[in-house]
Amino acid sequence: MKSSFDFYAPNGGVRPVRLCEDTRRFAYDSLNRRYGLDTLEVMCVDMDGEKNFESLSPLEKYDLCIRAIAERAPIRICEGERISGAATLGRAISHVVPADFGGEAVFGSISHLTTDFESVLRFGVNDIKRRALEALELHRGTEREAFARSCVSCLESFGIWHGRYLDALRGRPEYAKNYENLCRVPFEPPRNFYEAVQSLWFTFAFIRLCGNWPGIGRIDCLLGDYLKNDLSDGRLTLDEAREILAHFFIKGCEWINGTVVGSGDAQHYQNIVLAGVDENGEEITNEVTYLVLDILEELGISDFPTTVRVNRCTDERLLRRVAEVMRYGGGILAVYGEDTVLDALVKSGYPLREARKFANDGCWEVQIPGKTFFIYSPFDSLHILQEKTLQGYDGTVSFADFEELYQKYVSDLHATVEKIFLRRLSQFEEGASANGWKWKAQTPCTVVSLFEQGCIEKGLSYLEGGPIYNLHSPHIGGLADTVNSLYAIKRLVFDEKKLTLGELLEILKNNWGGAEPWRQYVLNRYTYYGNDSDEVDLLAARLLSDFADSCASFNGKCGYTFPAGVSTFGRQLEWSSKRAATPSGRRVGEVLAANCSPTPGSDRAGATAIIRSYCRADHTKLLSGAALDIRLLPSSVEGEDGLEALIALIRGFVELGGFFMQPDVADASLLREAQEHPENYTTLSVRVSGWNARFVTLDRRWQDMIIEQNEH
Amino acid sequence: MSKMSIETKLRVTEIQRFCMHDGPGVRTTVFLKGCPLRCAWCHNPEAQMAEPELLLNAARCIGCLVCVSVCPSGAQAFAPVRTVDRDTCRACGACSEACPTAALEICGREYTADELADVIERDRAFYGERGGVTLSGGEPLLQGEGTLALLRECRERGIPTAVETCGFADPSVIEAAVPHVDLFLWDVKDTDDVRHKRYTGVSCARIIENLRRADSLGAKTRLRCILVKGVNTDAAHYRALAELAVSLAGCEGVEFIPYHAYGGSKATLLGLPDNGNAAWIPEKEDVTAARAAVASHGIKVY
Repeated sequence: MKSSFDFYAPNGGVRPVRLCEDTRRFAYDSLNRRYGLDTLEVMCVDMDGEKNFESLSPLEKYDLCIRAIAERAPIRICEGERISGAATLGRAISHVVPADFGGEAVFGSISHLTTDFESVLRFGVNDIKRRALEALELHRGTEREAFARSCVSCLESFGIWHGRYLDALRGRPEYAKNYENLCRVPFEPPRNFYEAVQSLWFTFAFIRLCGNWPGIGRIDCLLGDYLKNDLSDGRLTLDEAREILAHFFIKGCEWINGTVVGSGDAQHYQNIVLAGVDENGEEITNEVTYLVLDILEELGISDFPTTVRVNRCTDERLLRRVAEVMRYGGGILAVYGEDTVLDALVKSGYPLREARKFANDGCWEVQIPGKTFFIYSPFDSLHILQEKTLQGYDGTVSFADFEELYQKYVSDLHATVEKIFLRRLSQFEEGASANGWKWKAQTPCTVVSLFEQGCIEKGLSYLEGGPIYNLHSPHIGGLADTVNSLYAIKRLVFDEKKLTLGELLEILKNNWGGAEPWRQYVLNRYTYYGNDSDEVDLLAARLLSDFADSCASFNGKCGYTFPAGVSTFGRQLEWSSKRAATPSGRRVGEVLAANCSPTPGSDRAGATAIIRSYCRADHTKLLSGAALDIRLLPSSVEGEDGLEALIALIRGFVELGGFFMQPDVADASLLREAQEHPENYTTLSVRVSGWNARFVTLDRRWQDMIIEQNEH
Repeated sequence: MSKMSIETKLRVTEIQRFCMHDGPGVRTTVFLKGCPLRCAWCHNPEAQMAEPELLLNAARCIGCLVCVSVCPSGAQAFAPVRTVDRDTCRACGACSEACPTAALEICGREYTADELADVIERDRAFYGERGGVTLSGGEPLLQGEGTLALLRECRERGIPTAVETCGFADPSVIEAAVPHVDLFLWDVKDTDDVRHKRYTGVSCARIIENLRRADSLGAKTRLRCILVKGVNTDAAHYRALAELAVSLAGCEGVEFIPYHAYGGSKATLLGLPDNGNAAWIPEKEDVTAARAAVASHGIKVY
């Protein structure tokens, strides 16, 4: 098929054409900022005109803001759209409730959660309203009444916004289907696939309109049965279903506006999870799974970071499709090792049936959708090693042997985790004991609370302990550089005794100046994390295990649990100039490792060795997930051999107990070309970390970091 | 037998993991040292000599002179350019042990078959049903005893085996290897014997003879031919290659490998002149023509 609209593929490949020309135009316009620029036209609603606004309680203020948004946000019907609803206030893109008072946003907003779309589809929003009214009766006269009122009020606002779309669509023949669908959903449960997609989108759009960034979750699980019934009743063809679903993905690009935001413009956490088993352990992969892959393959939309749950029994057909889409590049697809994730969840106390529902928060941290509060606290383990354990290279430190040094380091690490725990304790009222803790009132966040099980019934918001699971995840960063540093000290100082620790630290203090042969020695003579080398990999595994134990020691001591995670996202960029020289040969300012990946340049044995190093750790202890980035050259995944290579990497990763892997296909020369001529690469997408970004919207430092990672 | 495999040493130039072009699926390729041929286009010149050799990567040298202080033969030279005196160097490894930058390295580390099988086994999770180990070189069958031990060991561990051979080996080694090899990647560099002698130093008669012998013993083979522009890029060769393939019971097809010039710079590590020859690099059309010519005989082309 021929089309006037091309969608860029970083591997130089030609994407297939399956969608109709109108849908492709809609995608092209959306990816090229048409609706994103429109969204910036009206940034927020203005609350200045509200009488006595300042004297209201925070919840009352919040309810008024949400109502004003529902009543006043611009209505947008995109040309030819097959589903309606749009988050049209620009300030929402900056993660705040888009309502200003005195020129400033009144409330922040919520992300890192996947809301309960399952209940919206199964029971309809009217059922949530019923629950909210019941809760209001229950809590009347108690301190929870205000929140219960807020729930009812926000649902009314949702109804107002919904009504405005019905008004806008009524009597327009080209949108007759949109109108008809919205007459039923999302307030009543959908009866078919088309209504289900509209219901899902409209609810998502409202939550987003109010400034929040929820993930979508398991879209194939949510929509699969609707499509199956339509197909078997002959109400819909697969091609028609693909068009409808494509509009869901295209509308998800409505915030693309090309504004440089440093870490990229496509990270609104609208994550999607595909495939995997259901509550009963049956594989759920269905036609929706494949339609999503078709759409990603054809349009290269990277705004929904998509992760595929792969297990040891995953069908070859699915893996092939995943590999085919993956190798166009852009890092749109990532992989969960499902068996490992489930083991981790069960080990942490989730019942297996519950665990099998997992999706994620917006990057890769797993959570049970619609039931989970999640927040994470990142820290740099290399900073702890340099500044605490080795006393900033100024003091005199000495250790009898490596084991003593290691134990001191683990206790310094534990102190950091404890600090994170203590900070979290401040969310409880004074005098709260281990079992009798009581949540403090928090910033209002009723809109997401409506879609989190537990909140309405308990009368507690998302931030006040309403959800069933409340997680605060300490995230260790700098892993590879810390492990490599420890390993180099072990070898050089304690095993080979070539230098004393004091001598080494003196050299490091001088940033390796005047000691180039020593620097070369540690760079070239030792094999670091990422090369499938037992000693250093076991050190990494030991460190991660000790870190996980440290986190687990705080479980049960307040209303949160503390799942361990590994990430840097992009923080290694800002850390790199601040960290001292490392014993592994790195000088100040040189590149640091990302996430749970090797330090760029230190991995010399290829992708399988990287995966094996990573998999030496017990990832069932790291519930919040340790991400492995794998960068592949387009040439290495070409042809049938290339597909086989990708499938082999995924299968091996799952087999060896990997948790989360994000492969990307791009070569450094292409990225450099895009840096010089951004105008030719407006839709080139790269995997940054837990998210993708259009490369040209990254600022120079982020671009350079990604090029550097691809070069090694 | 397995007792012996522990004691037999193999001399290895390199082990490459996650190889996609050395047989079916994902493979670990073990390059063994020593080759009876001296191909003018050799891509792995460091694998020609059977004995360990010292490689010098001058670009990595920072001039710390530690090698000078440890070299027992005074073979390290820094002026007028950085070189190793190949006549006096005994490849004892003292300098490479001391060199901080790995500018000096001994090529030809020894492993037992068991040690190698352990390395190969590391990527088992990635091999799937088709992948496995490929022994290459150099000429892997030159290290007869060790190679056989390694093949047996891999087979015992359930790892599929492939051998990339120039076919110029003792017939008894070939016969002994056939039962342990799932696929031979059999180099037929040229079917014109005059050219074969001129460019590789040996006749192809024995190579073809061995190939037929292996075939008669039930070997599965894939013929591999390096395409060197202006040397063997002619129709007669393609026809002969196709006819050879047709005549073999266990031949799954033919694979062409376009010449590239990267091997040339490797020669400089041995102190030899860069033998890369840009004129030999075939055009895309040459490769297409070669593939089409062979395919027209009903032969699968890889």
